[in-house]
Amino acid sequence: MPRGSGMSDGVTTITMTIDGRELEVPEGTRVLRAARAAGISIPSLCDYELVEPFGACRMCLVEVEGMPRLQTACTLLPANGMTVITESEVLTKARRDVLELLLINHPLDCPFCDKSGECDLQHMVLKYGPTTGRYTEEKRLVPADHSDHLLARTMERCIACERCVRICDEVQGASALTMVGRGGDTRMEPFSPDAFDCEYCGNCLPACPVGAILSTLEMHNYRPWQIDREVETVCGHCGVGCRLVVQVRDESIARIASHPGLGFNRGLLCALGRFGHEYVGSEDRLSTPLIRREGDLEECSWEEAISFVAERLLRIREIHGGVAIAGVASPRCTNEDNYVFQKFLRVGCASNNIDSLSRLGFAAAQHYLESMLGSGITANQISSINGCDAILVVGGDPTAINPILGTTIRQAARHGARVGVLGHAPGLERFTAAEVVPEYVEEPAVLEALLVEVAAASELTDGAIDRKISAYVEEMRPSCPPPDGFVDLVDLLVTAAAPAIVLGPELVQRSDGYRALASVAGLTRVLGARLFLLAEGPNEQGLVDVGCVPDRLPGGVPVGDTSAGKKLAEMWRGSVPETPGLSLMELVEAAGRDVRALYVMGENPAFKLPNGSHVHGALSALELLVVQDIFLTETGLLADVVLPALAWSERDGTFTNIERRVQRTKRAVAPRFGRADWKIVCDLAAAMGHPMDYAGPDQILEELIQASPLYECLSHGSLDGDGWLVRRDLQPQELEFPTGPWIQAVRREGRNGVSLGIERSLFHSGTTSRHAPALRPICPEATAKLSSSLANELALRDGELVRLSTPQGSVTVPVQIDLSIRDRRVLLCNHYEGKGVLGLLDYTVDPVTKAPGLEACGVRIEKVEVEEA
Amino acid sequence: MLKRLLNNTDAPDSAEIDEYMRVGGYRALKVALDASPSDVVEEVKQSNLRGRGGAGFPTGRKWEFAVAAEGSPKYVVCNADEGEPGTFKDRVLMEKNPHLLIEGMVIASHAIGAEHGYIYLRREYPRALDRLERAIHDAYEHKILGDAVCGTSLRFHLEVFQGAGAYICGEETALIDSLEGRRGQPRTRPPYPVTAGLWGKPTVVNNVETLCNIPLILEIGGAAYAKIGTPSSPGPKLYCISGCVQKPGVYELPMGTTLRELIFDHAGGMRNGHRLKAVIPGGLSVPVVPADAIDCPMDFDSLSEIGSSLGSAGVIVMDETVCMVRVAHRAAHFYEVESCGKCVPCREGTGWLGKVLARILVGNAEPADLSLIDGIAGAIYGNTFCPLGDSAAEVVTSIVKHFRDEFAEHIEGGGCRAEVA
Repeated sequence: MPRGSGMSDGVTTITMTIDGRELEVPEGTRVLRAARAAGISIPSLCDYELVEPFGACRMCLVEVEGMPRLQTACTLLPANGMTVITESEVLTKARRDVLELLLINHPLDCPFCDKSGECDLQHMVLKYGPTTGRYTEEKRLVPADHSDHLLARTMERCIACERCVRICDEVQGASALTMVGRGGDTRMEPFSPDAFDCEYCGNCLPACPVGAILSTLEMHNYRPWQIDREVETVCGHCGVGCRLVVQVRDESIARIASHPGLGFNRGLLCALGRFGHEYVGSEDRLSTPLIRREGDLEECSWEEAISFVAERLLRIREIHGGVAIAGVASPRCTNEDNYVFQKFLRVGCASNNIDSLSRLGFAAAQHYLESMLGSGITANQISSINGCDAILVVGGDPTAINPILGTTIRQAARHGARVGVLGHAPGLERFTAAEVVPEYVEEPAVLEALLVEVAAASELTDGAIDRKISAYVEEMRPSCPPPDGFVDLVDLLVTAAAPAIVLGPELVQRSDGYRALASVAGLTRVLGARLFLLAEGPNEQGLVDVGCVPDRLPGGVPVGDTSAGKKLAEMWRGSVPETPGLSLMELVEAAGRDVRALYVMGENPAFKLPNGSHVHGALSALELLVVQDIFLTETGLLADVVLPALAWSERDGTFTNIERRVQRTKRAVAPRFGRADWKIVCDLAAAMGHPMDYAGPDQILEELIQASPLYECLSHGSLDGDGWLVRRDLQPQELEFPTGPWIQAVRREGRNGVSLGIERSLFHSGTTSRHAPALRPICPEATAKLSSSLANELALRDGELVRLSTPQGSVTVPVQIDLSIRDRRVLLCNHYEGKGVLGLLDYTVDPVTKAPGLEACGVRIEKVEVEEA
Repeated sequence: MLKRLLNNTDAPDSAEIDEYMRVGGYRALKVALDASPSDVVEEVKQSNLRGRGGAGFPTGRKWEFAVAAEGSPKYVVCNADEGEPGTFKDRVLMEKNPHLLIEGMVIASHAIGAEHGYIYLRREYPRALDRLERAIHDAYEHKILGDAVCGTSLRFHLEVFQGAGAYICGEETALIDSLEGRRGQPRTRPPYPVTAGLWGKPTVVNNVETLCNIPLILEIGGAAYAKIGTPSSPGPKLYCISGCVQKPGVYELPMGTTLRELIFDHAGGMRNGHRLKAVIPGGLSVPVVPADAIDCPMDFDSLSEIGSSLGSAGVIVMDETVCMVRVAHRAAHFYEVESCGKCVPCREGTGWLGKVLARILVGNAEPADLSLIDGIAGAIYGNTFCPLGDSAAEVVTSIVKHFRDEFAEHIEGGGCRAEVA
């Protein structure tokens, strides 16, 4: 080891001197970043902490003892004994020279540039000059380009640092941008000719050090220094829970910003997180309670609404018992909201009939996997994907469902990890080393075959668990021939040193979903893989953990556990019913019969459950339907009482992400109307004679910490910063594989074998994105997506209208040929009013997870003439 | 002198494989295949061959690094992006002696353990493309390329990749970017291509002429090769002479031949009885030398001693009818349009230099503009990402230094009065 080098935390360090300070820096860290870590700031325009060093702007030139030339600190590797000077007359001159050169082609239109005030070029000219320029010729002229609805380019301002191109390529993995032109004509362009054909993550916006690329949402609205305040919070769109900054002006969201490096998402956001916030300030928000009078929903006072609901619930409880009351909780509500909600149902209404739409995916799978492999088996940190060398993706496209997790997979692939995909994950297309695309119905069978092969290639011991796996594998012996790519997929897994498995909802929403889950559990165990479970809502894990499931209390304690029940009864001042309640689809079946009242908090089952007409009928048959939401949804339209709630960024609380990281979501803007979900529930509880008084979400969390064994070590302070990770407890593993008789996938294909599937869009988040105008133009309407071969077969062309019909209903939408689809499925999204896919699908409930199975629903496709439509 | 690299190139079918083999082609490959890879590397090291692309890095050492580098597969890439103004030697080699290049590349692949090679060919060489593709096809037919090179277990596959017309792609890391399908821009070094080049794998990038020297080294031995030319710059060298001489062309001479010998003995002297005024000895990227420097030997060290460089050995000869302001402007303009745009000083500075020189040329300048040129060149020189910016600054400042009076005349006299050739 050379003189002066040492080891610290297993990393070789190097001793060097910067500006007279002796520093110990990790080997391989470039000087600029090493200096920055030590608090020494070296100016730079092209360096950006999320991308590789580039060495282009020449602002970070430093003097190095013994080197005749100035060196760029951003690319310079430290060496033992290296002595660096970061400020000197020579350097000031060199930097002034660079800035003078940069300004010769810069328009200096700072007075109307939105970046003015937060522009790196401005800051540096202020520090290093020059005050005048010697350039007297014409500047280059590049017309500003506003052809994109969201990203405006003013390339005269571009300083060609390529930070946008690099982040798009290296980090986002979208590779949608490039530099074009040479010499002074060099500028960025998207590969698509006019508008951007990209993922609209907007990560290029904070990357741009000048005003060359700006979001049209904020252009010419305000100056950066006119922001009233910044609130660091957690995104409310998906289960990743990215940290972001809400900038507030005049009590509304001015901009969603992010600082490079912020949170475990390192400041990266997706289209929804960055641009999907406008629904909060939408004019369509519910502003007052509504009550049904003579068939119509009419505005009423809070007092009237609350006392009406209280009275009706009390009467139903009295006549039919608590079992006649049910609740649907929401993964968009906070832990505090959901905790209060389940407590209200359990002790206020005497019912365990509580579930959520997470039953369609996350909640169903998570419970099953934990029951096999132990608590926290899915609680892995997303950043750890970067350390994996093989990643198996099954059951959906992570880049659409949980985008930042998806981009993390892409980054891992970029750094050498091999990605294997089973099924349909178009966002990983260019990053995939092995791919198997079986017929959709066959996916669990392929997983079983995969487990058989992987188990055969692994050295199973004769321990109890391994023996169970061996026995299960023995029973599984697959009969079908291995599909294309299968051998590569096996090889990818068995040669991996640090594998990960990413499981999406498509393998859960099946009649035989538990078989897929059993195989995933087996693979996880045999490979020692990290398991990630995708979640569409921001608080699906939290929902489960605070007890919004029919069979478990807060902290995952089973309903009927007498000591826990007793403790909770004391704390809650009421008795907790001891038999598990009905799960979601059972609630629907029982609606209007055993279940007479349904309380829906922040959810839209009328639109988001399968077999829409059946669900519609069930909800209509209820004696009482109460909906509390921020918009008047399809479910609200059926309700007897509708109560306006608060939206994300209007209230405080916590979310638990898929890593089981509890994070604060904060109030950033003052609500204009509505009440917090927990508050509405408490008001109702009080009216029913069961007061639940809390001063605020913090006090609720206090009680939740007492009530839930999961949160034993949680304190308010530990929620600051990156949040608090629930401790994993993988010890008591049962690993009970299912036994026969085996449930088979239900085939409901039509004559031609065409089935209907769910499209999960990167640009939509449930139905809130209906009210986010920035996102709508990206995919402005529901379309029937199908492969070009299926389109040919059915003689359909792009844009032609078709009617998709199933026994459950029909919709008329245009055709969109999608080259990424390779099977005989027609995909339709579930976002647009009257055109949701879920309502058209029939279902059969998975007997183990209770998730509705939606696989292979046949669909009839007919061309519709325009006049007819 | 005995022609080695241009051996037999006067024969009409010198590019044909049969003709090449008739005059002893692919014999060196047999010698190399009989030796171990490390022996081949050792032989090349002994020859002291220095890269002919311009930088003059010892080829044997480059190969040694690639051998030692971890990672597989490894690649051999031939830099045939001959874009340096005044340079056309590689073109002659590829058009007239393509099998010599192929032979050099197969030997290189054996030496460093590469199974794939690419010839990165500038798009402006359609005839070279035809000849190379035909030669590669024939080499496959003769089992010189393929899964069993000359019946041994060596695998080597070779293909031609055409560039898209960017000068910067002659820079090896930009070349690799372009080869990967990206916009060609120089990459941060380290890592060097020998450790992380094409697709991040160890890659040897050698110039056409460099690789064409390899068979000769194997044939006569490194020690004998080292005796050709000068001790520090051994070997035969292809010199390209263009400009105001009687017989412009490519001349194969030993390293260290003087400019005077080159111009007056081989290129037939100056045209039309004109006087020699200045020479750019190594392609447009090296400083101009005035007429009194022509006794300098043309090798790496001698030329750098007089403040210029051997570069690509593209000798551009100028006589007294040539306006040096125009030369400077032409050079700056070239660098402006060929700047890849990555780093600021080169991207913005070359354009600015060009604009100021244009003003001097049309008589729209003031005396202060001369120091402005020095200032801009000073801001570029030493501060750019790759040597392209340095070259632009050096060429212009060397012209201004040696011919300052001519610039002053232009400024005072209202522009250029020379007739444009």
